[in-house]
Amino acid sequence: MTAAAPRTLAWINYGYLLLMMLVIAAILTAAMAMQYIGGELPCPLCLLQRVALFGVCFGIIATFRFGDSGRNTGLGLLFAIFLLVVSVRQSLLDIYPRPGHAYIGSAVFGIHMPVWCVLIALALLIAYSVKLAVLDSRDARAVPLVEFPALARAARAAGAYVVMLCAINLISVVVQCGLDACHTSGYRLLQSLH
Amino acid sequence: MMVPIFATLLLALATAWMGRQTIAIACLIACLLLSIGLFLFEVYSPDYGFRMPWIQTQLDVGAPPSPARSRA
Repeated sequence: MTAAAPRTLAWINYGYLLLMMLVIAAILTAAMAMQYIGGELPCPLCLLQRVALFGVCFGIIATFRFGDSGRNTGLGLLFAIFLLVVSVRQSLLDIYPRPGHAYIGSAVFGIHMPVWCVLIALALLIAYSVKLAVLDSRDARAVPLVEFPALARAARAAGAYVVMLCAINLISVVVQCGLDACHTSGYRLLQSLH
Repeated sequence: MMVPIFATLLLALATAWMGRQTIAIACLIACLLLSIGLFLFEVYSPDYGFRMPWIQTQLDVGAPPSPARSRA
């Protein structure tokens, strides 16, 4: 391997992770747009799926900030598996329509949100597998993100956007659920004001 | 329970973004544990427990084989 190869591999690795985080941020933004513009309130399991997506973003932000390590990748993978477990369980919960149980919200391209989350979780697991199989090398891991100033700036901006999305979600959860269990009947805090 | 989950998650993300590794990972693990607890609470049913009887199937062993099966 030449001297330039680890740097190139590190650049591809960081770019790949940034792309993953941007895709997750876009999914979360779309979900929030459907909530605030479309008026579709998220159910508790839907909110847990958002938590799992933010958790995967945490793994990526930690990689950008503290370096590419097995621990940061492992944390991201843990949340990808959590997303898979929650979304599969919710899909099975609503797969047979009966009183009190049906897919919540509108379908996107004919597929409902929990089923989309199964596909997203599988895509994330495949993406992590590709990263570990193809882009992982000890020499490349030793190259910090600050070696690529443009990529580092983009990663920092994307990280700030994800933190902002999470802050909006926290406010939204407080308004929807208060300190009690979450329901999809309405925004609890707004109802109590009327 | 959802508010503490999102609060610890925001704390984890913000501290990771600012470069505080130990606090970030501690908050993230707290968030994951709370999330697992809430998930189990949400899917548990007093009637069914964690089972999903609406998707269970049962072979009708006493029934005679259908014509389609007997040809196979």
